[in-house]
Amino acid sequence: MRIATLQRRRFQNLGRFILNIPLMLVILVPLLYTISISVMPPDEIYGNHLIPTSVKFTNYIQAFTNPYYNFPRMILNSFFVSTAVMLGQMVTCSLAAFAFSFLEFRGKKILFLSVLATMMVPGEVTIIANYLTMAQWGWLDTYRALAFPFLTSAMGIFLLRQYYLTFAKELYEAAKLDGCSNLRFLTSIVVPLSRPALGALGAYVFLNTWNQYMWPLLVTNSRNFRTVQIGISMLYDVDAVSLGLMMAGVVIVIVPSLSIFVFMNKQLINGLMAGAVKG
Amino acid sequence: MKDTGKNIPSLRKKSFLSTAEPYLFLLPALVIFALFLYYPFLRTIFLSMFLTNKTGKPKIFVAFTGNDNYLTLFRDPSFWSSILVTFKFVIFVALGGLLIGLISSLLTERKYFGSGFAAAVYAMPIAIASAAASMSFKMILHPTNGLLNHLMGTQINFTGDSRYALGSVIGLTIWLTSGINFIFISAGLRNVPGELYDSASVDGAGYWRKVFSVTIPSISPTLFFQIIINIIGAFQSFSQIKLLTEGGPGDTTNVMVWSIYKDAFRNFRFGAAAARSVILFLIVLIITIIQFRFEKKGVNY
Repeated sequence: MRIATLQRRRFQNLGRFILNIPLMLVILVPLLYTISISVMPPDEIYGNHLIPTSVKFTNYIQAFTNPYYNFPRMILNSFFVSTAVMLGQMVTCSLAAFAFSFLEFRGKKILFLSVLATMMVPGEVTIIANYLTMAQWGWLDTYRALAFPFLTSAMGIFLLRQYYLTFAKELYEAAKLDGCSNLRFLTSIVVPLSRPALGALGAYVFLNTWNQYMWPLLVTNSRNFRTVQIGISMLYDVDAVSLGLMMAGVVIVIVPSLSIFVFMNKQLINGLMAGAVKG
Repeated sequence: MKDTGKNIPSLRKKSFLSTAEPYLFLLPALVIFALFLYYPFLRTIFLSMFLTNKTGKPKIFVAFTGNDNYLTLFRDPSFWSSILVTFKFVIFVALGGLLIGLISSLLTERKYFGSGFAAAVYAMPIAIASAAASMSFKMILHPTNGLLNHLMGTQINFTGDSRYALGSVIGLTIWLTSGINFIFISAGLRNVPGELYDSASVDGAGYWRKVFSVTIPSISPTLFFQIIINIIGAFQSFSQIKLLTEGGPGDTTNVMVWSIYKDAFRNFRFGAAAARSVILFLIVLIITIIQFRFEKKGVNY
């Protein structure tokens, strides 16, 4: 009797998993297909094969070594800019969140509202004016243009502030009594204690910057300052024979994103949930 | 205490520093916001009142002359077709993303062998860049060598045929947005109190009955919130359009952000592009206000 119910449950579970397969395929097939094309010999791509008969890495070697595409440089550009934006946001948002949660000052409410209000303006609305500013300053084709506009965010300030508000006020008061300065309290007590929130912010911001497309497209023109997301479409523009090369580019670009997804899943999802709280 | 403090110079100096200090903490963030958010926002509104030259410098003030950028847009049938296309795109993406999110969260609601893996797969699109996914879909939709044509035994030019182009970018965008829908709806499902299901079971309700009369009503605030997120996100779509269709064929995929880009960087009409940006802002603002209104009322408890 017990064995029968156990078996029935196992059967039910298997059934549940099988129900997932169609939808899982819809999500996974684009990636699997991309990988498959990227290692397929060209004649098989044109022969409409789905799975390569032999695995060739020539496209990856091409993407990394052909100086014409300048792809390694673009990977470095993306890494550099994403890291700079991530660290920049960690600093500016920690400072601002600290003021908003621990300090009392005139205009606090208005300033906080004016920070939150920035969430109501989609980046695409200000992108033309920002581009014109960059052109005026002579910042086009620089790392500054790629990183500076994103060195802070309302989402980051809000996320950290919410976290700081959970700290006991006594902690701050005790530190003040001991003559600890605000900056020192922030760097040696608050920051170490808020590692989960900083991790969420960092993972989310790095990924978002890595995945940016429209802004880098506008403010860069030379292959020396293009980022990878634009680089992959440039692998396609070269000539139509390069479908496999283009797919190799997609795989290369997705590897860092997926690594963050796999290894920092919890932080990423926490950051994402904070980031989506629009308006 | 306060009065005595005022009379001692060293303490007064300290109190001046401590009044300035909070603002110093805010300074880096506020400078960035001022330069790259407040200023360009005002500049966009300002620019929208001018005809501009090729470098985006305001040339002729046209606001309130009856011939300004806004009225020119409103008289232009292609502007209205762009609005219509955008709304179609947004509605299909918002509902499609929600539906996939709901199905995938229901499928992985309970723990069983493989449910963790399935959940990871459903969440995965959150990590994938829209540009990378667009290139991948470009291959899938390729007219002669793509997967989709191969599977259907056809030779359809999905991104170049006005019957399929909008559907193609909608499909891609639903794929991209399915991850965040899954994450939020799953979180909503976890918050449904188990007693509700128990009492429904006692009443003899079957699985589907429970889904429709317990689950969906209980998570309706989540679903509503998620629809708003989807709508606002869909209004901002750009890479898919740029990489797959460039707004075409004709104007069939000419969504708003693409039309802003085209006006500014293909036609060099920065004033008109700014006017379109302001309209986009107003639409998103209205949606946000609707969200606030409904959230206050509470959707359905």
